[in-house]
Formats: sequence, C-alpha cells, structure tokens
Amino acid sequence: MNSIAEFLANKLSKRQVVDGSHTEGWAVCNRFPHAVVSPDNETQVAQILSLASAEGWVCVPSGKGTWLKGGHPPKAVDVVINMANMDHVSAYEPDDLFITTETGLGLDILSRYALDRGQWLPFDPPGVKGGSIGATISTASAGSLQAGFGRPRDHILGVTLATGDGRLLRLGGKVVKNVAGFDLLKLAIGSWGTLGVLTSVTVRLHPAPVLDRTLLFQGTDVSSAARLANAISRSRASFAAVEMITSGEQEDKGIYSLPFVAVRILEPLPVAEEITRIICEQVHATPFMCLEGKDSQLIFDDIQTMENNAEMVLRLSLLPSKLSNLVERTKELRELVDPNVDRGIRMAAHASTGVLRIMIARLNRRKGWLEMLASSLSNLRYLLESEGGSMVISQGPPEIVEIVGARGKLGSVTELMRGLQKEFDPSSILAPERIIG
Amino acid sequence: MPGSLAKSLEKKLKSIVGETGVILDRDRLLAYESDGLTAYRSLPMAVVFPRDTIEVSKVLGLLSKEDIPVVPRGAGTGLSGGALADDRSVMVATSLMNRILTIDSDNRIALVQPGVINADLTEAVSPFGLYYPPDPSSQSACTLGGNVAENSGGPHCLKYGVTSRYVIGITVVTYDGTISRFGGFGRELGGYDIVGLFVGSEGCFGIATEIEVCLLPKPEGAQTLLAIFDRLEDAGKAVTTIIADGLLPAALEIIDGPTIKAVEESIYAGGYPTDAEAALVIEFDGIKAGLSADIERTTVHCREANARDISTAESEKEREVLWQGRKKAFGAMGRIAPDLLVQDATVPRSTLPDVLRRISEIGQSYKLVVANVFHAGDGNLHPNILFDRSDPDEVERVELASKEIMAVCVEAGGTITGEHGVGLDKLSYMSLVHSREELEAMQVVKRVFDPKGNMNPGKVIPDLSEDFS
Ligand SMILES: Cc1cc2nc3c(=O)[nH]c(=O)nc-3n(C[C@H](O)[C@H](O)[C@H](O)COP(=O)(O)OP(=O)(O)OC[C@H]3O[C@@H](n4cnc5c(N)ncnc54)[C@H](O)[C@@H]3O)c2cc1C
Repeated sequence: MNSIAEFLANKLSKRQVVDGSHTEGWAVCNRFPHAVVSPDNETQVAQILSLASAEGWVCVPSGKGTWLKGGHPPKAVDVVINMANMDHVSAYEPDDLFITTETGLGLDILSRYALDRGQWLPFDPPGVKGGSIGATISTASAGSLQAGFGRPRDHILGVTLATGDGRLLRLGGKVVKNVAGFDLLKLAIGSWGTLGVLTSVTVRLHPAPVLDRTLLFQGTDVSSAARLANAISRSRASFAAVEMITSGEQEDKGIYSLPFVAVRILEPLPVAEEITRIICEQVHATPFMCLEGKDSQLIFDDIQTMENNAEMVLRLSLLPSKLSNLVERTKELRELVDPNVDRGIRMAAHASTGVLRIMIARLNRRKGWLEMLASSLSNLRYLLESEGGSMVISQGPPEIVEIVGARGKLGSVTELMRGLQKEFDPSSILAPERIIG
Repeated sequence: MPGSLAKSLEKKLKSIVGETGVILDRDRLLAYESDGLTAYRSLPMAVVFPRDTIEVSKVLGLLSKEDIPVVPRGAGTGLSGGALADDRSVMVATSLMNRILTIDSDNRIALVQPGVINADLTEAVSPFGLYYPPDPSSQSACTLGGNVAENSGGPHCLKYGVTSRYVIGITVVTYDGTISRFGGFGRELGGYDIVGLFVGSEGCFGIATEIEVCLLPKPEGAQTLLAIFDRLEDAGKAVTTIIADGLLPAALEIIDGPTIKAVEESIYAGGYPTDAEAALVIEFDGIKAGLSADIERTTVHCREANARDISTAESEKEREVLWQGRKKAFGAMGRIAPDLLVQDATVPRSTLPDVLRRISEIGQSYKLVVANVFHAGDGNLHPNILFDRSDPDEVERVELASKEIMAVCVEAGGTITGEHGVGLDKLSYMSLVHSREELEAMQVVKRVFDPKGNMNPGKVIPDLSEDFS
C-alpha cells in the first residue's frame, strides 16, 4: 500500500480503501488516484476531507464512477472519494412529496423506489441510467425532461455538503419554499465537487405520469428538423420534452434513417390528445409515429444514453430560435470524425433550451489531429461565444480538453468564483480548476 | 459624516443622477422610513435614484470611497424590514430603472431593469400570449428587483415555482461599483450558479441592475373551486390529500375564519359565509380538456374532508368573485386593526392541520387575533397577527406569540420564512434553522461579494459574536 492508502486504511478500515495499484477503474480523466476510499457515512466523509486538507491531497468525489471521464480534467488526483456505500434512503414522505437519501444511490434505484409508490423524479441526465443522484446534482446534469419540468436545481430541496476542510453544512431543507438565508444550496448544485462532497440530498417528487406518449415527426434534413423542433417548442401546448435527433450518417435503418423530432407528452389521455392536436395544427405537420407506454419511454431512454459510447461529446448552444443556424455550424466537425466507425456523428438538440449535443463515436486520428481538433473546437467556441452562445466539451480525450478547456473562460468573474471556492475549500484540495479553469 | 451627506458628496451624486435624483429633506425621506413591515422604522441619510447600470456603478463607486453603507430599495413592499436604511446609510432606489429593455417572444425571454413592476411585465408580454409566472399578492406594486432579492413566490408558484426558476441572467453592481454579468439564456457557462445564489440575497451582495427572465405561454384555460369548511383543520387535511393524490393545482390557498370575517365586513365582501372556519380557493389551469377531471377529483377530496359547500367557476368574472376573499384579505385586515404583523413560515404540507391548530392555541393563549391566509399547497403559512402598536403590552404579546409560532413551524420540520425573507425581522430566528457554521458560511459568501460589509448591512445574518444555540 502507498502511504496515502495506508494512512486512510488506518484511520478508517482496510475494507474501505483501494490501493493505488488497483485504481485504474477510478481514473478521473485518465489521472490515476493513489487511493480510492469508500466512506460509510457523512462523518467519515468529513473526516477524510479534513485529513486531506491537512495533508494537501487532491480529492475528487465519485458516485457510481460511470462518468469520471467527464468534465475538465483535474491537474492531479490523490484520492477518489467513492460514495457507493452511502446509498441509504433516510426519509421518504409520500404525502409531502419528498425523499431524502444519501448521494451514492443510483438514479435508477431511486426512480424505481419512487415509482413503486406512484411517484416520480423528472431527472434524465445524459449517461448511464444507474449514475448516482449525487453526481447528477453535483454536475447539474439535465436531460430532455428539463423542457417540461425544469433543471435539477428546481427539484432539490436540500443537501448536506462536507466542505473541503471537513465542515458539514446542511443547505436548504425539506420544504418547497425556503428563503431563510442566502441560497448556498444553489452554489453547491453544479459545483462539480469543488466546494465539497454532497453526502445527502432531499429531492422533491412528482406524481407519476399516467400516460407516456411520444410523437415522432420526420425532418427532410437536419436544418428543417431543427426548425420544426423549435416551432413545436414554441407552441402553447405543454409537453415534457422536445428533441431533434439525427442518427449518424452511415446508418440507414428504420426510423433513424432521417433526422426526426421526438415530442414527449406526460399528461392524462384527454389532455395528451388535445396537445397532440394543438401541436399538429400549429406546425402543420403530422407525426409519422405515435408511441405510448414503454415504446415511448424507449425513445427517450435512447436519447438519454446516446452519449455513452462516444469518444467525444460537445454541447453547443445558442438561443433556441437559432437552432437551425447552430446545426449548420457543425458541418466542419464532420472532418474530425473517423469515417470508418458506424454512427460516426450523432446529434440531439433540446429544442427549448437551444442546446445541441454532438456525439462523435471516434475521432479521426490522422496526422496532426490533435492540433486540428484543438483549433477547430477553439474556433467554434469563439464563434458561438461571440453570438452569445457557448461550447462545452462534456467528455473527450483529456489532452484535448486540457488545451481547449471544458468550458469557455469565465472572464472578469473569475476572481469572484475563486473567492467563493476558497471559502469552502481553503487548502484547494478539491481540484478547483475543474470548474474555474 | 453620520447623519448628513457632505455637500461635496451631494454635488457629486447629483452630477451622476441629476438634481432631482437625490432626496435629502426629511419630509420627503419619510416615505422611505419603512417597508411593508411598519414595525421597523428609520430614516436614511439620503435616497438616490439612478437610471441605469452605469449610474448605479458610479453612485456605488462614490459611496464606497466614503465608506457609506448602501441599501437597495424597490417598491418598499417587503415584509421583513429588508429595505431599511439608517441615517448613516444611503438608499439606492430603483424606481427610475423601470424600463423593459427587450422582449424576445421567440425565445420567451425578457430583459428588464429592476424597478419594473411585476404585473407590468406580464401586461407587456401579454400581446405575445406570454406571461411572467411568479405572482406575489403585491404584484401590482412590487418590483422585479425586489422579487429577485427576496426570491418571491405567490399563489401560482405551487405549480410554476418561485422567482429563482425564472431568473436566468443578471447584471450586478457590487459595492465598489464593479459591474458583473452572470448567466444568460442560450449558453452554458462555467463556474458556479451565481444567478441562483444572488436570487434571495436580499440586497446584501449588490444591486441587480438588469434581470433576464423567462416567460411562459398563457394557459389555455383555468377553473377555480371554492370549498367552505366548518373546521380549519379539515381544510388543512383536504390540502394534504389533494397534493398526495397527485393533483397539481396552479394555486391552493387557505383563508381562515377571522380573515373571512374581515373581508366580509369590508367593502370587498365576496359572499363567503362568516360562520365558516376556513375557505379553500383552488385553481387548475392548462389545457381546457383536462380541467374538469381535476376539479372533480378535488371536489371528492374536499367532500371527504367535510367541506360543507363547494362552488366552481370557469369564466374570468366568476373566478374573480371566488378569488375576492383571498386577494383582498390584507386590505380588509387593515380596516379592523391598526397594525398587522404578517408572519411567514413554511411547513411540510402534511403537518398543516396540526400546525394550524397549534397556531390557533398560541393566539388564544396570548389573547391575540391570528388571521391565516396563505399558500397552503406549498405549506407556506402566513399567520397574521392583528394588534395595536400603541399598546405596549399587546406589542410584547405579539412578539412572544411570533416566537412560539416560529418554533412550532421549525419543530414540524419547516423553516422560518418561505418567501418574505429574513431582513431584520427574522434575524433572531435564524439560529432555529441554521448552525453557527452554516451562518458563518453565509457570512463568508457575503464577504466575497461585499468585503467591507456595507451592502444592506445588518440584514439576514445575525450577530455571530452573540452566543446562541
Ligand atoms: C400586501 C402584500 C402582499 C404580499 N404578498 C407576497 C406574496 O404573495 N409573495 C411574496 O413572496 N411576497 C409578498 N409580499 C412581500 C413583497 O411584496 C415581496 O417581498 C417583494 O418582492 C418586494 O419587492 P419590492 O420591490 O417592494 O422590494 P423592497 O421592499 O423595496 O425590497 C425588498 C428587499 O430587496 C432588496 N432589493 C430591492 N431591489 C433590489 C435590487 N435591484 N437589487 C438588490 N436588492 C434589491 C432590498 O434591499 C430589500 O432587502 C407581499 C407584500 C405585501 C405588502
């Protein structure tokens, strides 16, 4: 055992520590930690962090470890704090529509838990379905359901945050309206583990939808599909999600052969019928398919998991009304894709937020690829930012992400962000560069 | 320079905001002596009226050089003593910053100055079939800047969520005059959710000078139901079962017996029975085809909770009649007692029947009239205590009763304020819901924005040098 692993094993127990030579599965953006430690409770999380703070070990929290390649790479990682053991539901109040759980719980298990009781969590973050609730909140990952139900921050009532120096802060509470003091909860959501480790969370639940319906509309090309998606998202009908999807150019099977728009409606039958009618009338189009129940869900499961095997995922955004322009901008990216791989480049656009996800199956590693890729991405970011938009590298080879940056520069607010980070993590052991750059 | 603004500073301020943009004389300052919570009063040293971000930046830059504390103020309808300045502080009022800068109906967003009145925004976007959902009962007077600062809610926030859900970008001027822009629609930026953090910061971080909000399409239809109950607790039970059954009304409000009496004895009488202990106003909105089914299920729940009378309304006019008692409640209470303490707390919905009973007992034990009118669907209580400020004994009883009510709400798993904020009024209750460490964390976050501690000082965070447990 290396010294960090040994130290931690002595403080906690051998069972809870994995030594550096067995940590490949825990690499964070290809950085191998010296130790992986699995706390059993929040006190141990706080204990680990205060130890790390004193020793200067860089810590990165992990939920289920399914997306450690995502985001901006930390400079180094000494310890991965694996939250998988902390997966207990500590309070469930169906009448008050909330659930409190430790953050290592898988979203799939949490969803099933609520569904068994007729309740539901409108979370569908991109990635595998078994990712943890903690990671979802920590990365503020939102999927297509944000169109109808809002972002994770709109559903989180409270969290416990173990700060970088090992304080346990309870932020928010369990009631739906709470303005007792500054909203540090919002600061913790989306902080990518740089302010502390989330140990428990209270989530607002919703009644489970009685009907799940998806309308599929065909687009003749990507731009027209983008325009259609935008028009639908501006209709006065209430829907749960509107996504524009393309499949990958080489592909030619079934419904995936052309770009299409998927509209999800989670309303009782008479309302769903009316929404269907309104949408068709307003966009002068008829769906080529109307799916219900499991079939409807499958379409959106696919949309949720389509990033999983991609080597690189980009999130491009402009205002939703510019979605078709945004799609046009992606033409140059095709050169970066390995043409020999099936489903070379896929796209999915959230029509109501204007975010276009680009999934590149494998990058074309011809001579000079790194420089070419870096320059194409930097140009694209520059163009989008100059129009008020953005480009995020959601996942990709760390060597590229390091050069280009997962997100654009923060500019004049960098110092303020740094100041906030320092207050929660005085010894800078939580890899602040992951969010501040 | 406490108490008076030096001539040279006055001149400099006027050179930024114009001759009429600075108020100094006592008579005119009186209008700024308190917010909606009139129990707290103090006169600011001066009130300054900038017109845009640049002017706010210059004003703050100037005041910070002199180390003069700053208190932002919108319409002054706040109910926690937030917009209160003493004679060493300058109030920066946003009433001249009342322009809607852009309406982008395609993307359903608007950019506004902070002094825009909440209801004016909805009116301005209405021709596009849009509206701004957070609707504080004070919406015809309160400003969007105030709403941002307090993270305000309103009757329809049960379904649509509170202010923080709709604010997507802000321009902020901090105490030293620095202008920073955070968030914005159509882009995913790095860093922390400063927009989320700023909303609800009660003027303690800086002044919001431009606010980007998202808008929603107006619902196709709405139906309202009024249910009358002989027992307040039964109304509370109906609320719990309606929500637990998976129904999501746009609004679900309780008006209790004393409030009904106050309304019915006033010019706003809407025909509510004065012997009832409670009325529930429940509204569903959305696609018309779904409304009747929701109203029917709700009717069943109300009947099962012993509602003695239920009426429904669909047309705008009929709905207004059913809403009358709720909307005019505060105005009516003002007519039956010289003073009113509007309390604010949130509890888990299922505890409402018990908490309401205990609040009524507290009122009785202190011989006070407590009138409840509140956002029941969110568990957001407003126990309003009627009293006479000129009676010191009654004032003392009001304070003691308030404290007990807060303790009951916290004990039930709730919190000390759901939408009115901490301001000055709730400082002493903060330790009921936060540990010292949590309060210290809030304090250091404030310090990052406001190192000198001169933005709306003395609000939100209690004096941490005091011993509390
Ligand atoms: C009859 C009545 C009914 C009400 N009903 C509701 C209700 O249903 N829901 C609800 O939530 N509230 C309600 N309120 C409370 C109040 O209306 C809200 O808190 C409102 O948001 C305050 O807005 P204002 O413009 O009046 O703010 P002010 O009272 O002027 O200020 C409130 C706070 O905001 C700060 N502030 C103001 N502008 C800015 C700015 N631009 N930047 C930074 N800080 C700023 C001030 O410093 C102060 O701390 C009600 C009040 C009354 C009198």
